[in-house]
Amino acid sequence: MNQFVLQHGKSAELRLFPYMLELGMKKNGAILPNTFLTTATEGIRIYYIIEGKFEWRIDHQPYFFYPGDVALILPGKPFGSDNGTLEIGSFAWIHLDIQKQDNGYILPGKWSGLSESEGAAIGRMLSLNSSPVLSRFSEAGKILKCIQTELFAHEIGYQTRINHQVDELLIKMIRHMSRQVRPGRDFPKAFLRLEEVLRQNLSHQWTVDEMAALVGLGTTLFTERVKSYSGFSPINYLINIRISEAIKLLKRPDISVTDIALDTGFYSSQHFATTFKKLTGHRPSEFRKHHLRNE
Amino acid sequence: MKCIITIELGTNGVRIFAFDLSGHVIGSMKGYYPSFHTEPDYSEQDPEQIFITTLYVLKNLLNEYIHPKEYKVSCICFSAAMHSVLAVDRNGNPLGNAITWSDNRAKQEAWELRSSALGKSLYAATGTPIHPMSPMLKIAWIRNHDKERFRQTSKFLSIKSYIIHQLTGEYMIDYSIASATGLLNIHTVTWEADALQYAGITDAQLPGLAPVSATAGKLKKAYQQSLGLPVETKILIGSSDGCLATLGDGAKGEGEATITIEDSGAVRVMGPAVLKDEQMRFFNYVLTEDRYVSGGPTNNGGNIFEWFTRQFGDFNNPFDIEHSMQQLIEEASRAPVGSDGLLFLPYLLGERAPIWNANARGVYFGLNIKHERRHFVRAAIEGIMYEIYSIGKTLSEQRNIESLSVNGSFGTIPFCTQLIADMFNKPVRLRRKFHSVSFGAWLLSATEMGIYKTLEQAARTVELPDVYKPDEQHHAVYADYFGIFEKLSNKLFDEFEAISNLQHKHAITKYTST
Repeated sequence: MNQFVLQHGKSAELRLFPYMLELGMKKNGAILPNTFLTTATEGIRIYYIIEGKFEWRIDHQPYFFYPGDVALILPGKPFGSDNGTLEIGSFAWIHLDIQKQDNGYILPGKWSGLSESEGAAIGRMLSLNSSPVLSRFSEAGKILKCIQTELFAHEIGYQTRINHQVDELLIKMIRHMSRQVRPGRDFPKAFLRLEEVLRQNLSHQWTVDEMAALVGLGTTLFTERVKSYSGFSPINYLINIRISEAIKLLKRPDISVTDIALDTGFYSSQHFATTFKKLTGHRPSEFRKHHLRNE
Repeated sequence: MKCIITIELGTNGVRIFAFDLSGHVIGSMKGYYPSFHTEPDYSEQDPEQIFITTLYVLKNLLNEYIHPKEYKVSCICFSAAMHSVLAVDRNGNPLGNAITWSDNRAKQEAWELRSSALGKSLYAATGTPIHPMSPMLKIAWIRNHDKERFRQTSKFLSIKSYIIHQLTGEYMIDYSIASATGLLNIHTVTWEADALQYAGITDAQLPGLAPVSATAGKLKKAYQQSLGLPVETKILIGSSDGCLATLGDGAKGEGEATITIEDSGAVRVMGPAVLKDEQMRFFNYVLTEDRYVSGGPTNNGGNIFEWFTRQFGDFNNPFDIEHSMQQLIEEASRAPVGSDGLLFLPYLLGERAPIWNANARGVYFGLNIKHERRHFVRAAIEGIMYEIYSIGKTLSEQRNIESLSVNGSFGTIPFCTQLIADMFNKPVRLRRKFHSVSFGAWLLSATEMGIYKTLEQAARTVELPDVYKPDEQHHAVYADYFGIFEKLSNKLFDEFEAISNLQHKHAITKYTST
């Protein structure tokens, strides 16, 4: 296969795919200085290693990549190699334009056939992923190869097929990520990690799909496992954490009840008050009064 | 119809049972809460999460089993894991998370005190081994290393004391939990002045002492409403999980030992006198003024086999550890008794009784070319049980042990129970249907309500029908190998220390170089 680079705005091949900022394949036969410089871009960048071993720096951290590995670079993260050195080997890549929401999470664009909630869950998983290395992920290579073939062959249905392949790539990446972090052995650990993520993003309106994806399970099996492990459904477990955090905040005099409600993920202060009272018998404001009485 | 509710605040979550007055289970529910390990030696829990989870599960249980059938809740009785510490300010609000029994941050304090004369006299007075688990040492740690929290602390509570304070407004601690703090003189059942002084606190900074059958105030109005419980619902302070598991298995005294194996484990005996031990290997906790629960705890129980399963099990279904454990146990049962001489020391988490060595580590010993995978599996389980036997053997130097009962999720796996019977060469009884801790809490409540005259009478009604009989031939094999197991546990002292030091050293180098 030959080397190529297609770029948005320059290459006619990409005209039907405005979200595809760049697509390419590189074979490098000799170590080259000053060629692989560190850059940060608005889009998401996915590199698949075909041959060789590369040491790249992503978001200031060094990582090694071997054949079959994927480097995933999120929008705005600096990526390149030290001194711009490009090592011997070959790799393929794709850069995708991705919507960035106000809350900082990313979303696939309109071209995507993903449903709104699945698209949001995938964007969220991408944003939360802590490691940019997806190791032993040869499926990504196959998908990139397929996109390239379709793009040059122009067979009937190729536009749809390519859009599908990009969705496929996103889905496969997410699934690979969650299995890589949690190989399905240690539920207590996976659940504890989930709890940490939930606590760090408590104001987000979590769906069971998103939570299940973080643990690397389908929704049905996830709900079953959570129920048997914790005694609660995923959503009730989340409510549990929300109220526990809210109680802590209510015991501090400096945050308003409305802010507490929103910070801990309730739709409104009314929703917060009703849920809170059902469990504790107090409205949040009464509860606060009782616990701050000596101040 | 009247009923009794027991609330067990355990390490991994809360379990709530509803019993009728003849001791039958009406229903039960559980709720998980996590432990957080923000530093290598830390183990903390969120007190608000424990409270909310407890409240939530209690409410669900009442709505599911109690209110629809118009049961009247006569009594709610608590049990809890021992050794927790929660600092609260003068409003009773937590200053940080609760520190649990498995937290080791006070290891330096423990190390220094254990070898001192003060340590020996404190152990004799309080019955709590000088170990980082001890709340006395944890409070001393806070005083030494977290001065701001220490300064702001109005009271040091146990998790149970906090939950009861939330529900009723009372600051109380029962004798059993108090006797596991390292701060209580177990002979006089009052706070021990030398221990308070060591920790740097006064008795005003501790909750009020109460017998396990004491009423812990009245349910606050808001909770009466949200739970649908009348004001006269008795809130019984209850005891600790260890003491109640022993009571719940019907231990009355002489000749009986109770073995608990959950994640960790313990072998316990009950009696009117404390166990004195120069080597400070046993705990002595108070159930009532004239009834002590004594014994030895191990760090390495079912959690070690879970670890083994996670590493080497098949996991055909993601996260289905029960299934994978079951497969491994079947594999173990296909290996011969004694694993053809493959021994396993299960000290992956260091060890408490009987060797009390935090540096101890896991060992496979005796491996030869004929050993197969199944031998490794069986040896892992046998190793955990040799350790249990080792505690039992040490206890039997002071107490005659005729019969055994077993409880806890790991100990009651039939394969494990049979191993215990064979190793001890004694019949083993166990309860299948429910949790011994909760049943102990039921016995306590029933006695307090006048159904039984005394706890002893209550304990006598306990019937544990399942009996595992020892196999003499198996016992002979285990007895042979145990000799080597025991020798290795002590002989490797220097090497345990050396490898533990190296593990720490290289763990640190790795951190600093990146």
